[in-house]
Amino acid sequence: MIFHICNYTLMILLCVSTLYPFLNVIAISLNDSVDTIKGGITIIPREFTLLNYAEIFKSKSLATSVIISVLRTVTGTVTGILSSSMVAYVISRNDFIAKKFVTVLFILTMYVSGGLIPEYMLIRNLGLNNNFLVYILPGLISAFNVIVLRSFMDSLPFELQESAKLDGANDFTVFFRIIFPLCTPAIATISLFIAVGQWNSWFDTYLYCGSNRALTTLQYELQKILLSAQSSGQQDIYGSADMISQKRISPESIRMAMTVVATLPILFVYPFVQKYFIKGLTLGAVKT
Amino acid sequence: MKKNPFVIISILLVIALIAGCAPIQAPQSPSTPSSQGSAPAQTDVQTDDLKPITFKMYSVETDAYPDSDFSSPVAKEIQKATGVTLEIENAVSSDAGLQKLSLMAASGDYPDFVYGKGDLNILKNVDAILKLDDLIEQYGSNIKKFYGDDIKRLRWSLDDPSIYYIGGKELGQENMEPNAGFQLQLGAVKELGYPRLRTLEDFENAIKTYYANHPTLYDQKAIPFSLLADDWRFMITVSNPANFATGNSDDGEWYIDLKTLDCVRHLTREPVKEYFRWLNHMNDIGLLDPESFVQKYDQYKAKIASGRVIALADARWEIDEPVTALKKDGKYEAVYGYFPITLDESVKFADFQSTGYLGGWGLAITKNCKDPVRAIKFFDWMCTEEAQILTHWGVKDLHYTIENGKRVLKQEVKDMRNSDPAWQQKTGIKKYCYPFPTYGNAVKDSTGQYFEAFDTLDAIAERQLPIENEVLAAYGVKYWKELYPQSDEFPVKPHGAAWLVNMDDPEWIAADDRILKIGYQMIPAIVMGKPSEFDAKWEEYQKAMKDAGLDWVTEQFEKVLKERTKLWQ
Repeated sequence: MIFHICNYTLMILLCVSTLYPFLNVIAISLNDSVDTIKGGITIIPREFTLLNYAEIFKSKSLATSVIISVLRTVTGTVTGILSSSMVAYVISRNDFIAKKFVTVLFILTMYVSGGLIPEYMLIRNLGLNNNFLVYILPGLISAFNVIVLRSFMDSLPFELQESAKLDGANDFTVFFRIIFPLCTPAIATISLFIAVGQWNSWFDTYLYCGSNRALTTLQYELQKILLSAQSSGQQDIYGSADMISQKRISPESIRMAMTVVATLPILFVYPFVQKYFIKGLTLGAVKT
Repeated sequence: MKKNPFVIISILLVIALIAGCAPIQAPQSPSTPSSQGSAPAQTDVQTDDLKPITFKMYSVETDAYPDSDFSSPVAKEIQKATGVTLEIENAVSSDAGLQKLSLMAASGDYPDFVYGKGDLNILKNVDAILKLDDLIEQYGSNIKKFYGDDIKRLRWSLDDPSIYYIGGKELGQENMEPNAGFQLQLGAVKELGYPRLRTLEDFENAIKTYYANHPTLYDQKAIPFSLLADDWRFMITVSNPANFATGNSDDGEWYIDLKTLDCVRHLTREPVKEYFRWLNHMNDIGLLDPESFVQKYDQYKAKIASGRVIALADARWEIDEPVTALKKDGKYEAVYGYFPITLDESVKFADFQSTGYLGGWGLAITKNCKDPVRAIKFFDWMCTEEAQILTHWGVKDLHYTIENGKRVLKQEVKDMRNSDPAWQQKTGIKKYCYPFPTYGNAVKDSTGQYFEAFDTLDAIAERQLPIENEVLAAYGVKYWKELYPQSDEFPVKPHGAAWLVNMDDPEWIAADDRILKIGYQMIPAIVMGKPSEFDAKWEEYQKAMKDAGLDWVTEQFEKVLKERTKLWQ
């Protein structure tokens, strides 16, 4: 009995401590921004307003950026999963001669990366600047994802593949009909990784597509709004005073509203893949 | 066996490295600066000058509401007059801006114009930006007229005294309101019968009396005097006021002798020590908020917004948000008045001391620019009176009208400015001032009117609360500015502003930071400690700074500052 009481209190405390910051963010985002300065907002907004959100959605290019963000997330995830799992399948096969070498080659990229400038020059020389493909191609294969998938495939009994072969299946059939469906937990996990990464990334937009309004992503636009809200406070030090008068929405409120806008889509997707998510993570770790 | 793949990979990597390096040098050869080379093709036909041309520009300044397709009414007028279309890309943050500049330098991928603030040297180091002297000489008569003698302040360095950029900060800018000072609630000023507020002693007495009469304000415990020391804000609210109260204008952490240009860290000066002795005394008699050195910025803002903090020593922009909240709640008596309070009567508060033109930053034309001659002609046009009126006031009849020979802004433009954060994007007004060549608010045009349309004393008068007017009238003035010593009482600072000096030696930056952080740690202890221990602790602080390399830091800084000032003379 005592154990249960302790257990429940602890669990409730844990829930509160993880949930509270998020509820606080939502509350502040829905509270009048001038009122927020007075502090003391907990989980219920004191002066309800949607103005903070209105401010964010005033940005001209937000509509196209949402489309681009969704497109890159969907395309990036589908193609990413497909290529990563196909590569993983190949290097999970014992009859692949260069298996070890290729694996090491992949792992190496997890420790040594090219660095920002070489990467930028590569992208530029490939002509991917101001091109939608720059969101898809560089992230097509990530070593980490490939290794997780390969470990998962290693844990599947090889006999499955053998018997399929005996029944006359070729490598593609084996992969798509046998291996891929069996990997669902791992695939779900990796999909979520890729999707979250794609959805949240803004720096590549800034580097490669910042000058092209048709290709900017939601996170990039939000970043812009946030940072200009922030910097207007410091404008005065640097002289251009006319920015100050525009500052009626405080950066605090903007930041909170932005956090909500940016996380909600992920929040909606997460419950559907959650059961795979936990399974997939542990499955990759321990081989049985 | 096991080593093999690694050997191969290392070889591959080395090859890749060598191959990767090669293209860096390649882009340097094409498109040499065409300042002289284009002379024979010169035609004096105007139509050639108006041929549509698009210039790409990159700015490290952030902008949430860019006029990105150059479609605002002002942009259209600029296009009509010059044929130029600007495609401006802004940075998303200062870090990202710096990265982008480095990438440009590494890849040779430059837009036509770059505004790089203090980091333009990244492009200069790879010879990516054009020398503008000859171009200005040939095509820039308006540019020369615009800058006059201040054009010297655009020069790069003593070793390379050419001009590589123009524009940047406003030329002829004067503050219309005090930015620094000591703040006292208007309610207090009024109740105490508009006392003389000139020295720290006056200030202390005012706080003391008002606090004694009002232990609570707006149903909460009153706080007589609060400071903020949240990370870098320490410099704004703890360190700067000490500098100001001892008669120095804003030179960051430095005190600069205007005659000899000798630099010292202001926190080592005797008068500054006296200021901190006063803070220590304030703490001793219970007038200093005990949370001064531990509170975070949002807690500080919340306190001010509640209306219970009687006095402050802060910069205007830092308390802007909570003061807006006070006004919104109708707590007008808790809004602050600004007073030029100094250590004693002999010291003048130098907030309005002029820095002269701050020419350290500007727009550069890169060597990838399609047509540098057109570019300089464009900037030349931007320097004309016509262009300056257009960029400051907008389009005639659309944004302003002329009544009795005077420009008058239309009411809808004023309203829009107060209600729509995207007003610059929609009208284009003020969008093409900074960082292009632009006049500040103290410059008049040929008809004797100010170029500035918004940041004027009239606009401030409109903004002032009735209680502010009442208090100001009691002191016999109309604006807060008039309580302060005026700019003509001080010499123009020959070095501009010390915080604009760029130090790029990482070792220096690290040492400077170390010295700063010592202050973050030790000053709170000094202020909150017993008065009897003050001198000993202050000594300890001085010694700690010395041990951290203060002399070397000062020496280096002084060298750079002196060089720059020499360049500007």
